[in-house]
Amino acid sequence: MSDAIEAQASLEGMLKDEILRMYQEVADNPSGEFHFFHGREAAEAFEYQQEWLDRAPPGAVASFAGVGNPHLRADIQEGETVLDLGSGAGLDAIIASWNAGPSGKVIGIDFNPAMCVKAKSQAAEAGEAMECHEGRMEDIPVESESVDVVISNGVINLSFRKRRVFEEIHRILKPGGRMSITDIVSGKQLSQSIVNDPKLWAS
Amino acid sequence: MFRLMEESGFSRVRSAVVPGFRFRKGSTQDAAESFGVKAVMMTAVR
Repeated sequence: MSDAIEAQASLEGMLKDEILRMYQEVADNPSGEFHFFHGREAAEAFEYQQEWLDRAPPGAVASFAGVGNPHLRADIQEGETVLDLGSGAGLDAIIASWNAGPSGKVIGIDFNPAMCVKAKSQAAEAGEAMECHEGRMEDIPVESESVDVVISNGVINLSFRKRRVFEEIHRILKPGGRMSITDIVSGKQLSQSIVNDPKLWAS
Repeated sequence: MFRLMEESGFSRVRSAVVPGFRFRKGSTQDAAESFGVKAVMMTAVR
């Protein structure tokens, strides 16, 4: 393995640890203060319907850590299969499940198995069934051409291999399938000091 | 990301800025703005 590849692998490992730590903290301690808005305050700012926020389990709302509202353009239809990439504490998956109805299916993907446990628990509290698989967005553990809609909220920016992530989303979507994501982008090349700092990259 | 989506085979790629997104701390928000950091909504079709 070349030095550059080893360095990249090392940085990815540190980043993974930092992301696990940060988002686990949001899930475990939603009353804490973070550098980003989260919980109901954030969801309301992103125009999540009040009805959704009142109806969803408080734990799922309190741990919401998205950067926008992918449901505004997802147009999920009854009976569709929806995949939530980086499903976290489960609020977006629960809303997707309501929109897809009992004949639909929602699959969460999260690289933190504890978040999958939490998301499934929150979904069950909401009276919804969801699958959740531990996995990485660069290697989504789902069959090709099996999904109608991919939603994601503030997750893809965390990957060092975004091209691979979009190739994976393309692979799992059915022909004509669609994605609706909200995420963070930068208009300028980030400095190497930011790229090399897992805490800054994870934020 | 927009370009990567098109190069990955997606069509009808659309994006719009998320108006309500801000970092909590003013200093973080200022730093983010200096790098052109913003939240966007993107849609695309396979």
